[in-house]
Amino acid sequence: MHAPRTECLLNLIDQEYAIRDYQSDIPPRWCTGCGDNAILTAIQRLCRDEQLPPEKTVFVSGIGCSSRLPHYMNAYGFHGLHGRAFPVAEGIKMRRPDLHVFVTTGDGDCCSIGAAHWIHAIRYNMDMTVLMHDNQIYGLTKMQASPTSPRGLRSNTTPRGAYLEPLNPLTVTLGVPNVSFVAQAADWIPETLFDIVSQAYRHKGFSFVRVLQRCPEFMPHRFDAFVQDPSLTRLLVHQKGLTLTPDTSRTYRNQEIHDPGDLNRAREIASLTEEVPVGILYRNSEVPCYEDLREGERPNTPGLIRTVLDEEFDKFTIWPEDQPDQPAAS
Amino acid sequence: MDGISLELTSPRLIELDSEDSGESSRLRQQQPALFASYSDLRRLRYDYPLVLVEDDGGSARVQSLTDVVNALVRQVVPAGTQGKAFRWQLLYLEQTVRELVAAGTEGRLSRLWRKAEAELIKAADKADREALVKNLDLARETLETDGEVIDCDDKTPARFLVHAWNTIQAGKAKAFRKRIDGLILKLSDILKSDFTKSDKARSPEILKSAVGDTFDTDFDFDAMSRVLVEGSHADMLSPERRRRIEAVLMVLQSQRFYGPGRASGRWVEDVEPYTFVFDNCADAMDAFRDRLPQMVDFIEAVSIAELEIENKYRPELHDPFFQRLDESELTADDLALFPSYLVCLRDGESDAVETVRALEAIASGFPVKVLIQTDDILGDSSPEPPRASFAGGSARLAAMALGVNNAYVFQTASASLFRLQERVLKGMLYEGPALFSVYSGATKTVSGISPYLLSAAATESRTFPSFTYDPAAGPDWASRFDIRDNPQVESTWASHVLTYEDEALQRSSEAVAFTHIDFAICDSRFEKHWVPTSRSKWMDTMISASDLLAREGNGAASVVPYVWTIDGDGCLRRTVVDDRLLNSARRCAETWRSLQELGGIDNSHARCQLEAARAEWEQERQRLSGAAEVAEAVAAAPAIAESPVAAPAEETAPAPDSGVDAAEARAPDEPYIETARCTTCNECTQINNKMFVYNENKQAYIADPDAGSYRQIVEAAESCQVSIIHPGKPRNPDEPNLAELIERAEPFN
Ligand SMILES: Cc1ncc(C[n+]2csc(CCOP(=O)(O)OP(=O)(O)O)c2C)c(N)n1
Ligand code: SF4
Ligand code: SF4
Ligand SMILES: [Mg+2]
Repeated sequence: MHAPRTECLLNLIDQEYAIRDYQSDIPPRWCTGCGDNAILTAIQRLCRDEQLPPEKTVFVSGIGCSSRLPHYMNAYGFHGLHGRAFPVAEGIKMRRPDLHVFVTTGDGDCCSIGAAHWIHAIRYNMDMTVLMHDNQIYGLTKMQASPTSPRGLRSNTTPRGAYLEPLNPLTVTLGVPNVSFVAQAADWIPETLFDIVSQAYRHKGFSFVRVLQRCPEFMPHRFDAFVQDPSLTRLLVHQKGLTLTPDTSRTYRNQEIHDPGDLNRAREIASLTEEVPVGILYRNSEVPCYEDLREGERPNTPGLIRTVLDEEFDKFTIWPEDQPDQPAAS
Repeated sequence: MDGISLELTSPRLIELDSEDSGESSRLRQQQPALFASYSDLRRLRYDYPLVLVEDDGGSARVQSLTDVVNALVRQVVPAGTQGKAFRWQLLYLEQTVRELVAAGTEGRLSRLWRKAEAELIKAADKADREALVKNLDLARETLETDGEVIDCDDKTPARFLVHAWNTIQAGKAKAFRKRIDGLILKLSDILKSDFTKSDKARSPEILKSAVGDTFDTDFDFDAMSRVLVEGSHADMLSPERRRRIEAVLMVLQSQRFYGPGRASGRWVEDVEPYTFVFDNCADAMDAFRDRLPQMVDFIEAVSIAELEIENKYRPELHDPFFQRLDESELTADDLALFPSYLVCLRDGESDAVETVRALEAIASGFPVKVLIQTDDILGDSSPEPPRASFAGGSARLAAMALGVNNAYVFQTASASLFRLQERVLKGMLYEGPALFSVYSGATKTVSGISPYLLSAAATESRTFPSFTYDPAAGPDWASRFDIRDNPQVESTWASHVLTYEDEALQRSSEAVAFTHIDFAICDSRFEKHWVPTSRSKWMDTMISASDLLAREGNGAASVVPYVWTIDGDGCLRRTVVDDRLLNSARRCAETWRSLQELGGIDNSHARCQLEAARAEWEQERQRLSGAAEVAEAVAAAPAIAESPVAAPAEETAPAPDSGVDAAEARAPDEPYIETARCTTCNECTQINNKMFVYNENKQAYIADPDAGSYRQIVEAAESCQVSIIHPGKPRNPDEPNLAELIERAEPFN
């Protein structure tokens, strides 16, 4: 919130950020052909289009190939502990609600070791944009099965093929109370990826985007069928959803008009097995954000918290010198 | 008359004999007949006394004791006969508190409640006490509302308005502190994080204290400090920026407009906040002017702080701006940040020139809230009532203030304050000046009638109508001016049914208008102008004053005008009134009529326009009925696409390939990339980054097909996982192995 005068003064500055302003000095170290590159590009385009000040933007991640993304952004970043991107991001948002918070996480990071944090982060509904890079494998540690790996996948941890049905991150998310934004994107359809990431960013609340991400290194042909046959992709369209370019519309003819307000239909779409839904499955801007619910009356500085705590503790402290003659307890 | 209906219960109509020509004091105490049922307000449940509820969040509302008790009954008393005794006990407490307050006892509700409890317990039978005490304990613990309890008297308008002002200021203060504390905190963070980059912050001692005692032997803090100090200091704050932030912090922390906030409070113990409540306009305006430079400094500090926090302060752009900033540039938004000034004036007690100053203050747009309390509407008491005895002096001020376009003006009588408290709060919240004109009902020349009843009568009789002018409500009078808070706004006088016992002891009733005369006869200064008459003296030529006033020209010297009154014994009389009272009533009706016009009731301009509009509407209706036929015809035509979103996929002619739009600009055999589908995967750019280049969206296109070989284009097409590179035909016929390459390129063309 600014005073109108400040708003005018800010307008005096014509600073224009280009994509390269969001690019850090470190060149991406992902394998050539890795879908993470496409996600990075979508995010940089978003930052450029929204003109997000790098010093007001923060990328938080856990551990994994995908979680390296903060290094490649010229913005604040926190490359955290495996599975712990959400608690870190929540802390940042709580303390600095003025920052634009992004979380990048992998299927292992989010749905395996970080699953508990993930569920509660959905329920907390704090205003942040989450990109879950789902390559259905542990990439960084060189090919172990993840919770989203397809059944039968041979990997270093499942040499005879994965035994279990994979977990569906969309249906899980849609089943948690307070869910407010769920979308699915595919890294190989950059136009809609960008559109979805933009809408996720603009949604106030916890915007969860699962991005199907190609890992040519360890899952080389996993998504080939979908990349080559557009009819296997079901684009979810709606006036409140995606806006398609004529090109995309011509290529992806398998479309469904889906109102993102319809939670039941969203759950059905999320459960599709033969086709891959791409678009906004669910959006509800009415769900309150935890940082707003718990917004304090006063700023919480560490110093202030200590003062208040000391005041509280003092109430229960026994000061021997106050009553020298009496025993402490009787 | 709010909270009570003017229905009367049977005053006796008795014959008066000859002694009524004598000056018996009983006859001198006539009251309007419609007052009969309100002779003892202490026995009625109505909106007074009021509880000035306290709360520092800005949402406190004044509550009526009756509402508080009703809510309490709903919360704690069991439904039905079971709760009968308990309900009675709580109502008794309400009644006792009302009596205490009427007798002049002051205090908070909790204290008065305790007193009333004690009386109730004292009066109770010993056997019942235990149950009673249990009930009272439960009620007391449940009762959350607390605050000063006030009755309707000469202090009511000021106490009510000050409470409303405090409520609004509390809300403002809360928002202000939150905002300013936030700014202070963020600026301090900037300074603090700068400190952590300094050599001092990286000294072994500070590093050691950061780690604490437990592990301090595990580290070599000297070595750590050496390494850290060698690191770059390139992004330290410039001394200029640091000075600027420190100066801004100083201004924000030492502000005196509100008491200190929590984050800032500890550094500014000796700063006394300013006062904003005054008893005269001159002092208030002086204070405002004296504080202008500090206000400008403060606003400047807030803006600089916001820019600094965004890291957007550009000295070359912003320095000149802030050098120029002075009081003439303070906007309404800026002023709204500070508390408004409250001036409480009281007719007869405040200096007479104050009313003029109040108008000036309001007209100057200065954020002042002025209360003008009027205790006497009918004017001077010496020795004759003044000729224009209607709404003189301060009472006319509100009407005059309507001429100041940007001021909020609200007029009402004490009796309606509670019901209209949102109007008061709105005026307090309004960002510009506001004038509150309140008639207290505590007129010294009226005896035997409570201020509540008298003030209600002032509104009822149109002598002191309620109205609101709210400039924030819209652009025109229709949206800004509101007289709907008056009873029966459409008519000249409000009319009520008077029910009485006639000479045959039968119930009889009659519609009676409550006019200005009914109000005026309560005032002892008008004694000379009326005479009560008994039934024996009634004549055919007698006519009710309101009927006479309603007659065109009023003329008819032969008729005798009267109003209905009752005396101290509740006997109904026709009280005959003279021309002075009639004239006064006529002026009152004229003023009311012009208020009605302003309020859009039977407005003469509107009436003319209505005629015109009717004719126009008739035309329009005819035109529309023609159009409706056309619309029907359209609806009958075959439907076009059902869904505009899904349609393009089905409706457009099948495209041979995507990317056709670009094809026209391209030579047929030229290589190209469907750039919009590129996933930035680096495959092609790693093969040849002169030929394959990323555009401004970081998506690949062929910048120069001659920057490499045909082989490279074909290899790129083969590695591109989304198959969007189309190699076209070779450009250099001398390139080796062309035949093989053309064959490999085939699937991608
Ligand atoms: C606490 C902990 N446990 C295990 C690891 C090892 N580890 C590193 S990355 C990773 C899996 C990453 O998978 P995913 O999140 O899908 O990321 P991807 O590399 O596929 O993008 C694991 C198990 C670790 N770093 N920390
Ligand atoms: S291993 Fe897979 S996920 Fe990781 S960078 Fe390589 S391609 Fe991408
Ligand atoms: S190979 Fe294809 S997807 Fe990858 S960068 Fe080049 S054109 Fe884009
Ligand atoms: Mg993975």
